[in-house]
Amino acid sequence: MRGRILSAAVGVLTLVAAHPAAAQAPEPYRVGMTAAITGPFSAGYAPTYEAYRTYFKRVNEAGGINGHPVVITYEDDRGEPQRAAAAAKKLTDGALLLINASISPTYKPVMTEAEASKTPLLFGGGVCPREAFPPAAPLIFCTTSFGSKWDSRMALGFIKEQSGTKKVRVGFAAQDIPLSRIELEFAEQHARELGMDTIPVVVVPGAASDFTPFAQNLKDAGADWVFSWAPWGVEIGVFEALHRIGWKGNYILYGHQPAQDELTRLRAPNLHALTGNAMFIESLPIHAEITKLVQGQTNHPAHYMAEGWTSAMVLEAGLRKCGWPCTREKLAQALSSVSVDTRGLRGGPIEMTADNHYRRATYYKVYRWDAGKNAIVSVGGWSKLDIK
Amino acid sequence: MAALGGGYFKTSYEADLALVDTRLRRVALGALVVALLVLPRFASGFVLDLVSQAAFAAIGALALNVLTGLAGQISLGHAGFLAAGAFTTAALVERGLVSPLVTLPATALVGGVLGLVVGMPSLRLKGLYLALGTLAMHHVVLYAAGEMQARAGGNTGFTIPPPRLGGLVFRGTVAWYYALVVLAALVLLLVVNLQRSRAGRAWMAIRDRDVAAASVGIDVARYKLSAFVWSSVVTALAGALFAYHRGFVSVEAFGFFVAVEYIAMIIIGGLGSALGAVLGAAFVTLLPYVIDALVAGVSPDAAQYYVFPAKFGAFGLLMALFLLFEPLGLVGIWRRVRNWFALWPFRHRPLRASS
Amino acid sequence: MAQALATTLVVASLYALLGAGYVLVYRASRVLNLAQGDLLTLGGYFLFATAATFPGAPVLALPLAAALSALTGVLVYVALMRPMAGHPVFAAVLVTVTLGILLRAAIVLVFTDRTRHPLQNLGLSNPPRPLAGGAVVSTFDLVMVGAAVAFFAALFVFLKVSPLGIRMRAAGERALLASQRGINFHGVFALSWALSAFAGGLAGMIYSSNVRLEPSLGILGLRAFAVALVGGLDSLGGVVPAALLVAAVEVASVRWGNPLLSDVSPFLCLLVMLLVRPWGLFGTKEELERV
Repeated sequence: MRGRILSAAVGVLTLVAAHPAAAQAPEPYRVGMTAAITGPFSAGYAPTYEAYRTYFKRVNEAGGINGHPVVITYEDDRGEPQRAAAAAKKLTDGALLLINASISPTYKPVMTEAEASKTPLLFGGGVCPREAFPPAAPLIFCTTSFGSKWDSRMALGFIKEQSGTKKVRVGFAAQDIPLSRIELEFAEQHARELGMDTIPVVVVPGAASDFTPFAQNLKDAGADWVFSWAPWGVEIGVFEALHRIGWKGNYILYGHQPAQDELTRLRAPNLHALTGNAMFIESLPIHAEITKLVQGQTNHPAHYMAEGWTSAMVLEAGLRKCGWPCTREKLAQALSSVSVDTRGLRGGPIEMTADNHYRRATYYKVYRWDAGKNAIVSVGGWSKLDIK
Repeated sequence: MAALGGGYFKTSYEADLALVDTRLRRVALGALVVALLVLPRFASGFVLDLVSQAAFAAIGALALNVLTGLAGQISLGHAGFLAAGAFTTAALVERGLVSPLVTLPATALVGGVLGLVVGMPSLRLKGLYLALGTLAMHHVVLYAAGEMQARAGGNTGFTIPPPRLGGLVFRGTVAWYYALVVLAALVLLLVVNLQRSRAGRAWMAIRDRDVAAASVGIDVARYKLSAFVWSSVVTALAGALFAYHRGFVSVEAFGFFVAVEYIAMIIIGGLGSALGAVLGAAFVTLLPYVIDALVAGVSPDAAQYYVFPAKFGAFGLLMALFLLFEPLGLVGIWRRVRNWFALWPFRHRPLRASS
Repeated sequence: MAQALATTLVVASLYALLGAGYVLVYRASRVLNLAQGDLLTLGGYFLFATAATFPGAPVLALPLAAALSALTGVLVYVALMRPMAGHPVFAAVLVTVTLGILLRAAIVLVFTDRTRHPLQNLGLSNPPRPLAGGAVVSTFDLVMVGAAVAFFAALFVFLKVSPLGIRMRAAGERALLASQRGINFHGVFALSWALSAFAGGLAGMIYSSNVRLEPSLGILGLRAFAVALVGGLDSLGGVVPAALLVAAVEVASVRWGNPLLSDVSPFLCLLVMLLVRPWGLFGTKEELERV
């Protein structure tokens, strides 16, 4: 009896407390993000969180989506699976969608939570999980520019194209994390299928005190080309060591956020950055727009925002399509058929289908330093790869 | 009630053996049990998950406390033991042996063997030297686990299906909450009893002075190794529990910082005390979330970038302050508060062996 | 081969500076400083900050950053380690862990987590230098070797000749006896911490100029543990041969063994040493009983 009175009292209090707020502002779209905002891996993921924050600040100032603001709750998982699990549990409570911008060991616990509560889960900033590729899991979506298997195919295709009829010997530099090793072992196999000579993958510890011996191994094995697909420190560390010991081959790496600054710093004509995001040196209108918006708002340079910005564009399109009131099922439906014009941030639109939650086609560009022009140039235009 | 104030004597062997010896403590314990039982009716999934995390950490901390707190053998390899358990489970599940009836005994076996190996140096080494040896073992175990994961092609880790016994599938926040809390309570009970057993007393004797322990006829080598084996078996089982609870195993989940966190739990809780290990586990696990909640309550825009590193720094600062000003740990505070009430209006206890 | 030798020497110099940091602190506080790696990172960021304040003036920026590193050591001793005297060793070790957390958080707060290159502001470049036998190292690789040689030479002279150095050795052997002879051991220990932070900071300044600077560099410090133990936790003289040994094993495992093992090779060295001669190459055997 006493319990019932108590709960009635609590109910009345809640109503009283909630009422004025409800009268003032329309109810928001609630979204949750778990990201590695701090911790040893934050450099790759904190910019995504910053891009989202800036992006939706503008959306809300312009009146929100369908007349409703977007409220994103950010949790810092520090790249730790335990924290990510707790964060996902907290965020799924009331959120229409979860965003994961963290390292891959956090994927499984976050997916488990999303699945249990039937919440759509959008990966933006971290490497795309298998479940986003066709045949896609119903609730898993991914906007990240890089994806395993596709990147290697593209990089090897580029090497083949550059070397023409000449038979090349390709080396691979991986970091000692499963993700990078597995990808480059795939690449090694794929290179052999393309008729290239290969050197077994060189695995480099992330905390290597000196990259020279690893570089020496690649040089001694006679690599004409080296492909690296790893976190930035290893990708660039191996290249710098190769460069120092006088290796004359060509190097291609995935161009993560720092690539633009580093190409300029190193000014090495044989360093190629493969990337899905247009570098900001292209000075497209969207680049100027982002640069202006994030001024004084973020702790990272504007060009670090590309990855998160595209992801936010996709979320905005999904929410628009979902309408109001929006539910988790409706949002998942909406995202499954979303088509987003990236305004030049990517080589083409991001189109998802019921069975493909990555994109129907993905686009890559390769950049390098041109000593003659004293600037970064792109090697050819966008290349398209159909995702099937 | 006034167990420390003098005048309270145990009048039977049963009373001397009882774990919960006063009525107040029985009432308090009963209230705690009821609170834990009914919590799922009121708390959100998030809160339940936090309590589950704390309970899980308590299991690991209790196991480490037996090794470090009771037997005095310092180990920086605790995360390695957890990883060994989790990866044993993953390896068996990969091969289709998903039943806990297979994985748990196998995990215990691997944990025991590993404990024996890691414990070997303790026969010659103490203190920091031993700690460095266990640290090296930690790196070797993680290296092996990383190799296994890379070979098996698990780029985001191994997926572990929920445990199944007969037709019963074990899953869901509430089920795991009860399971972990009950298991933590069982381990606590086990450790408390172990402390009072022959082995427990032998361990404490070795901790206090190994030469003296040997001179009263304690087989130092055997008991040192048994402490390692006991601790690593329980920890490896906790690793298997992690695998089932979180549904995945990945080498990044068992970094060096995890080992340090467990050390932090038992030191902040109060070295050598089972209650301390539980309190320390709760403290270290929950502190970041408490800071989160406090910041969310105070800051107008908790999503600002600087807030996140500041919260991390606050975690370090609070731990440092705690270590500087309360070296006896949470149990030290608990005892002081208890004594203050028990002895009031006096300030000091009469001359009598402490409890 | 020449390249492997050159690389070994460079890596050994880094390890020697870090290892000296561990041993100096161990001799003062009988504690393993788990924040030594973060002191390395901090040194790099001090250089980044001073270089940004005095762009193009390395003569100003470098000594200032080194001085800030040493000062940090004193502050750490006074604020954190001195109050921990007499507490269980592992509580004190844990305090160094919390110090590491504080340093990393502070670095991210002030400098963010972006990868930095202090050289850009210093106005220096880092060209490759060919050596005899076809080996090539970078300029700052040579600076690292030079810094390690200079540091150890100066430390050796200081400890052997100067009265303060002799007091430091005495306090490192037996603090109680030393204090009874009127040695101000708090002053001596503060100096040890300053030297330790200086060595770590110096290594960090050079490493970050040479490779890159980011908040998580401190992980390098973990690898240098092995050096301190292989040489003997209480032996400064043991650091140099131990650093050479650990670096040689690491480089050799990449070049001629299993590269995957290079990450754990320092720890394998450590394990072998614990089995064969736990007090280290030049450590004192009695030390085993003291901790």
